[in-house]
Amino acid sequence: MLTLKNVYAGYDGNDVLSNISLTVQENENLCILGPNGCGKTTLIKTISGLIPCKGSITIDGNNINSMKRHEIASKVAVMSQMSSIYFSYTVFDAVLLGRYIYMKNNAFSGPSYEDREFAEHCIDAVGLSKLKYKQINTLSGGQLQRVYLARTLAQDPKIILLDEPTNHLDLKHQVELIDYLKEWSKVDGHSVIGVLHDINLAVRLADDILFLNEGETQAYGKADDIISSKLLKQVYGMDVVSFMTDSLRKWESYNVEPSIIPKVKLRKIK
Amino acid sequence: MKTKSKIIISIIICFAVLIFGVGMGSVYVHPTEIINILGNKLFSVPLSENISKTSISIVWNLRLPRALLAFIVGGALAVSGSVMQSVLKNPLASSFTLGVSSGACLGAGLVIVTGFQIAFLGIFTLPFVGLLCGMLTVILAVKFASRMDKNMENNTIILVGMVFSLFINAFLTLLTAMSKDSIEQLTLWQMGSFALKEWSNVFVLLPIVLVGVLVLMRYSRELDIMTFGEDQAFTMGVDVQKAKWIFLGLSAALTGSAISFVGVIGFIDLIAPHVVRKIFGSSHKIVIPMSLFFGGAFMVICDLIARTIVSPSELPVGAITALVGAPFFVYVYFNKRKEK
Repeated sequence: MLTLKNVYAGYDGNDVLSNISLTVQENENLCILGPNGCGKTTLIKTISGLIPCKGSITIDGNNINSMKRHEIASKVAVMSQMSSIYFSYTVFDAVLLGRYIYMKNNAFSGPSYEDREFAEHCIDAVGLSKLKYKQINTLSGGQLQRVYLARTLAQDPKIILLDEPTNHLDLKHQVELIDYLKEWSKVDGHSVIGVLHDINLAVRLADDILFLNEGETQAYGKADDIISSKLLKQVYGMDVVSFMTDSLRKWESYNVEPSIIPKVKLRKIK
Repeated sequence: MKTKSKIIISIIICFAVLIFGVGMGSVYVHPTEIINILGNKLFSVPLSENISKTSISIVWNLRLPRALLAFIVGGALAVSGSVMQSVLKNPLASSFTLGVSSGACLGAGLVIVTGFQIAFLGIFTLPFVGLLCGMLTVILAVKFASRMDKNMENNTIILVGMVFSLFINAFLTLLTAMSKDSIEQLTLWQMGSFALKEWSNVFVLLPIVLVGVLVLMRYSRELDIMTFGEDQAFTMGVDVQKAKWIFLGLSAALTGSAISFVGVIGFIDLIAPHVVRKIFGSSHKIVIPMSLFFGGAFMVICDLIARTIVSPSELPVGAITALVGAPFFVYVYFNKRKEK
């Protein structure tokens, strides 16, 4: 569905990404991992068309350079980390904005019944029906991130690009968000491509993993095939596995009983 | 209360303010008489016998064009302010931030000092040159900002606008210092006034403002989305660069055309959108038209104060708006800081 071939991209003529190639099939998720400054966010921006690139990026066989802005937006939506709210909207109005590409030709008339209904479904899907008419600047961080998720879903994309959306969220909300996106990607040929700092969340979501280091592909493939102590050490410059096992041992010494994480309560869009 | 009810009540209040503004003055004219005169002039409704010819002349020839012009100017400034604040994601931003007023002042100053007149424009030479210079300043500022920063980040635009403003103000100061004969006229123009304004001003300004407001309303969804960040807007399908040029250009045109007719009047563009957002929320399909009404009504009140408080003399309306606006500016600024 999405293919990158020999992609180079960066800012002011300086390449941050070098020779990136990857493929994401329908119903597959890819997580991009790597240390700070390795080019993860630049890659997300490049795929969404925000940064021009050399090489080719195709979605369903169409090169994004030949696609119009609204065509790309109908295929790819981006969910970023929470940003400041300068002017407040109701939850419903904020989510309805996700339908922009479908409403843009009837600017003076209000949104159609279908668009309103779709926005309602998205709000319902993320469990915010009761807060539909609340101002978004009165919501908690977790609720606000759900509003942004609903707005992203309202765009009805094939691919959701995540740019560290779990920042500022507590653990429960992080897991909830990732689990919902994993469920979403299992149907209708959807896919998620995400930049996540937390390796645990990344392996929870991803089928494939791309490790970036200084803008280049360090490793790319199925998580089971490529993750190794050596690779993690190379990428992060520290013994990640020892750190993880140390943490686990600590948890085992506490008086806690592990149990299965309850299944995500969010609902699918009808 | 539902939004529709709030809108209807607000519009009725704004029209009541307009009628009140026309009626008040050295000679009081009752609202029913004003409505009767309007009905007579517009729809040939028979006049009541107790309405004198003096009242008709005062309402139709003096106060109504003045109040309507104040309403249109206030509305244009408020709409422009609301758009600028959303595009620059700064509740204290306005077209003045980008140097419109400085440019317009310099243009008007040159016309006043040199006595230059374009034959077919006649008395409209001053507003025309003012508008032209105001727009030119904004275009130069935005072009310069886009050269310095390809992404046209808001902070770059604001900084460049302020530098351009100060730079042009320096020329204005030089011009004022070198032409002592015109100092009074220049100073008065910079303080803003609706004195001696006629229907012709209304007829020229009204279509400009209506077209500007309608085009901005056409792009209200894009404006809503851009308040969440330009990268986000881009990925949601908005042509951000094009939209930004439309918003900055039209806001500058609204402010430039308004102040070119009546001189510099500040703070309306800050106060009216802020009040409108408090009452109606942030959706621009409501914020833009309601800013027009609130800004218009507020300007009518300020003009009423300006012409009646030290009657028979008159104060510059810019001074009245500043007296109310400056404390309001401080209130908004510190309120925002407290929220953070």
